[in-house]
Amino acid sequence: MELSILIALVILSLGAASVFKDTRLVLATSLIALAVAFSATWNAYTFFIATIAALNIASLEIMKRSQIKGLDYALVALMAIATIYVFFVNDFAMLLAMFVVVSVPTYLLVMVGDGKSNVDVGIKYVTFMVLATILFIIGAVLLVNSPYSSLMYVIGYTTLILGLCIEIGVAPMHEWVPDVFTAADPIPISIIASLAKFVPIVIAYKILVSTANPLTPFVTMILAILAAISMFIGNIGALTSKETSRILAYSTVANMGYILATLTVVINFNWIYLALTGAMLQLIVNSAGKIGFFTAIKEGKGSTPLMYTLALSFIGLPPLMGFWSKLFILTSLVYVGYVWLAIVLVINSAISVPYYIRIARNLSKGWVLSFANAIALITVLIVLITIVPPDWFVEAMKEFSKILFISGV
Amino acid sequence: MIELVVLLYLAPIFCSIPIAIAWGMEKKPDYARRLPILSVFGLFISLLVALYILFNVPDGKYVINWLPEYNINFVFIFDYLSKYMGALTAFIAFLIGVYGLEYMKDDYRLGWYWMFFNVFTASMLLVVYSDNLLMLLIGWEGLGLASWGLIGHWFRDDDPLSYVGIIGRKVWKLNMFWSPSFGGWRAISTIRFGDMPMFFAVAAIYALTGSLNISEIDWAALFHHIGTAGTLILMLCFLMGPFTKSAQLPFSEWLMTAMTGPTTVSALLHSATMVAAGTYLFMRISWYIEPWHVHSLGLEYVYILVLFLGLLSALYGAVVATGCLERKVLLAASTMSSLGLMFASAAASMWIGKIALYVAFWYLIVHAFAKATLFLVAGHLIHVTHNRFCVGDIDVARKMRLAFIVTIFATISLSGIPPFTAYWVKSAMDEVMHHLIHEFGALPLTLLILTSIAYAAFLAKFLSLNFINGEKTHLHLHGGYVMGLAYSAMVSMLAVLLVIIVGKLEPHAGEFLKEGFVVNSFIVGIAVLASYSFALYIPRIRQLSPIGTFLSDRMYLPFLNDFILPKIGWFIAKIIDYCNKAIDFFCHKAIPSAFEGWSIGIRAIQSGELSRYIKIVVGCVILVLAIISVLGW
Repeated sequence: MELSILIALVILSLGAASVFKDTRLVLATSLIALAVAFSATWNAYTFFIATIAALNIASLEIMKRSQIKGLDYALVALMAIATIYVFFVNDFAMLLAMFVVVSVPTYLLVMVGDGKSNVDVGIKYVTFMVLATILFIIGAVLLVNSPYSSLMYVIGYTTLILGLCIEIGVAPMHEWVPDVFTAADPIPISIIASLAKFVPIVIAYKILVSTANPLTPFVTMILAILAAISMFIGNIGALTSKETSRILAYSTVANMGYILATLTVVINFNWIYLALTGAMLQLIVNSAGKIGFFTAIKEGKGSTPLMYTLALSFIGLPPLMGFWSKLFILTSLVYVGYVWLAIVLVINSAISVPYYIRIARNLSKGWVLSFANAIALITVLIVLITIVPPDWFVEAMKEFSKILFISGV
Repeated sequence: MIELVVLLYLAPIFCSIPIAIAWGMEKKPDYARRLPILSVFGLFISLLVALYILFNVPDGKYVINWLPEYNINFVFIFDYLSKYMGALTAFIAFLIGVYGLEYMKDDYRLGWYWMFFNVFTASMLLVVYSDNLLMLLIGWEGLGLASWGLIGHWFRDDDPLSYVGIIGRKVWKLNMFWSPSFGGWRAISTIRFGDMPMFFAVAAIYALTGSLNISEIDWAALFHHIGTAGTLILMLCFLMGPFTKSAQLPFSEWLMTAMTGPTTVSALLHSATMVAAGTYLFMRISWYIEPWHVHSLGLEYVYILVLFLGLLSALYGAVVATGCLERKVLLAASTMSSLGLMFASAAASMWIGKIALYVAFWYLIVHAFAKATLFLVAGHLIHVTHNRFCVGDIDVARKMRLAFIVTIFATISLSGIPPFTAYWVKSAMDEVMHHLIHEFGALPLTLLILTSIAYAAFLAKFLSLNFINGEKTHLHLHGGYVMGLAYSAMVSMLAVLLVIIVGKLEPHAGEFLKEGFVVNSFIVGIAVLASYSFALYIPRIRQLSPIGTFLSDRMYLPFLNDFILPKIGWFIAKIIDYCNKAIDFFCHKAIPSAFEGWSIGIRAIQSGELSRYIKIVVGCVILVLAIISVLGW
């Protein structure tokens, strides 16, 4: 597998170098590299990662005058390869490296726009990300090196979680999210809101599971409280927002709250596969929805049935994927004993209904035939996949939960 | 068998559909006023079937599967009670139907009238023949619905003749007169009040025993299983249905104002259907509970309650009737009194045995014929005098000789003057109450005798004030032949019953004969005769008119119905209104505005200033780390 990843990286580098010749060459090599990485790891979750990455790369086509036209394909492909690889990495140093590899390309991408580059937004974003990366890495190092069940573990855990919160935009450290989501170009935002979210969560799972000890239930409290705050702030903040991308920003805050909540499962290893299933499905739902909505925002309009399907998936209507993700999150929360958090999640799902419908109504313009709309159609197909009940995904997550432990910790 | 059952129930209903449709048409066809004959024909078919069942069908049950897996089926029972009661119902309904052909011929709502009249009869027949409690409830609710339709038949409230009470009269804040639409509402609301607990009781019986068939339930085991308190609650809930339907205290008011309906309706309602349904049901379940074999304290309490409630209602009804001046209201009060006696007598079976049920049942039969007769006569009188109050001097007796004779015979037969029909049944009832001396002293017997004396007095008063000593009135005599025929046929049944009893043609009724020759019974009979004669001679005592007013105002019981209960209802409505407003406030004002405020507050952080954001984030990070360090120390 490592060999295939290496080959993919080589292809990618050579392709990126050819940006001076022809940007279409970069597009081709990026997709080939992605295909190579995926074929080496062939799996239910890597399939979704690869699909989402491919959609991200395709959506970059909509930006006509990107400042780094050509290179952006390679950056997204690099992120995608890192995301695929991170599932299988057991080496602590390599995990941290992957964190940086996925984080740094977004610094560049966030500033890209049609026409002039958004430096203001870039500075805001980079400042937060630097803070997040530092906290995350310090926390990770403290955790891995702390004596068993000590105060250092507690501080390390908290630092890592705070870093994670800033990185993915959990309230009350979410301030960058609404500003960046509304000011930056929708296409890069769709990448930051989708593909970039997987790696921090997976790494956090791996580190927290590997370092769990009798103090974990105590520190998990702080995580649960942050998750609950994030759900409420995200959903209530979105309720009265008028601008669609601002609503989506707060929706991201809420969704990250749901996903953060699944990390409470670290206190009971029996249900890790359930929590992972919920978290991964929710990430996929979030990615599909954000890509579909943001490409529609870029275009200024979307097809009515597609927009409503995505909104209903976010709301959690069966048999769309958004229903299954919330179902697994809720069951895992109940099984590990966080019933109150499950209730908070249900209440929040109810609060979220009006604004998702509002997004769909804002963007719906009958039938739209365009490239952006084709991307939205594929995102809809993704959330419709769970018409077949996702036992297969649960099985994949069961397998994945076995390789979660970091070697040497 | 199935053809019989279908004919019995569906013939009256289907035969009244044509007139219901014809009357509903935009332009009434010419033949519409002749269609009631078809409705009466339907009633006649029912009568034939009921008579066939009485004479030719052996005792037993006939089952049509409905929900066999739940043991809920249409179960028709043919036993002593249902055979006689069915024939009685069908016969009286048919005769009243014939009478109605003439009485109602100029009415403005014949479709409505005949449809409900026949549904009423079919519902009662369903109640009579059902062994299954759920099927019985269907008939029971049919009775309630039809009674509402019929009592409020003259829904326009435009005819003073259809009112009850002196129009315009007020006592304190309360109107002491009732319109037909109000009467209909009072009937249905009172009945529903009792039906609800009864419905729950039936459900509880099913849940506890797995069966709804009265004759199959192991009642003794049921009462043993649920204990004294359970038995009390269950039976009282169940009996709320019969109590309200049969107008026992304090649910009697609806019956008095049910007189706003056409007289035919009153006659049917008061003799064989509706009010009789309550006592009939009590007799039916007592028949199969066999309380004389059951040792249950709870059941004994229930029967004591029914006994004294019945006797008190009987006395109340009789005393009130002596003060009434309206023809139909007087008879209504007397019906309530008779129903009380039936309940009391049936309840006495707890201590006396099955004979008490026979007494109650035969009293029901005698009363039905006599009361139907009197109502039909009253209706005829209202027609010819255009007055619903008791008026008429000897001139009326001369001009309406048939009605006069019929009334005399009906009143003396019903009041219990020896040797007429009711005397023998009443004698048996005296004996039943006499037997209760061991349990309750002389109280039941005393109440019964007082009731009997008052009963004879108001019957004589009815006769006297309408035919002999009443005010002079102008008669509008025309036609009336069909009506005369109907009540003559009705009253002749009293003679038939007399023959059956005295001739011992029916073994159980023959038993009453020997009670009639007991000295005590004879003394009571003489006292009744004396009371009857006195009231016939002096029907009104002017000096006592304040008492009479008190009685004709039904001892101000209307205040309970029309004042206290509505006040409670309005109070509840007010509370609910406040709750509604609170919910509206929370859902439409408080919660949305709170969320709006929070939402705007959350978004107010986004000033766009990076330094502010960094302060917030770093502050949060330091705060969380500080808290966790302190807690984790």
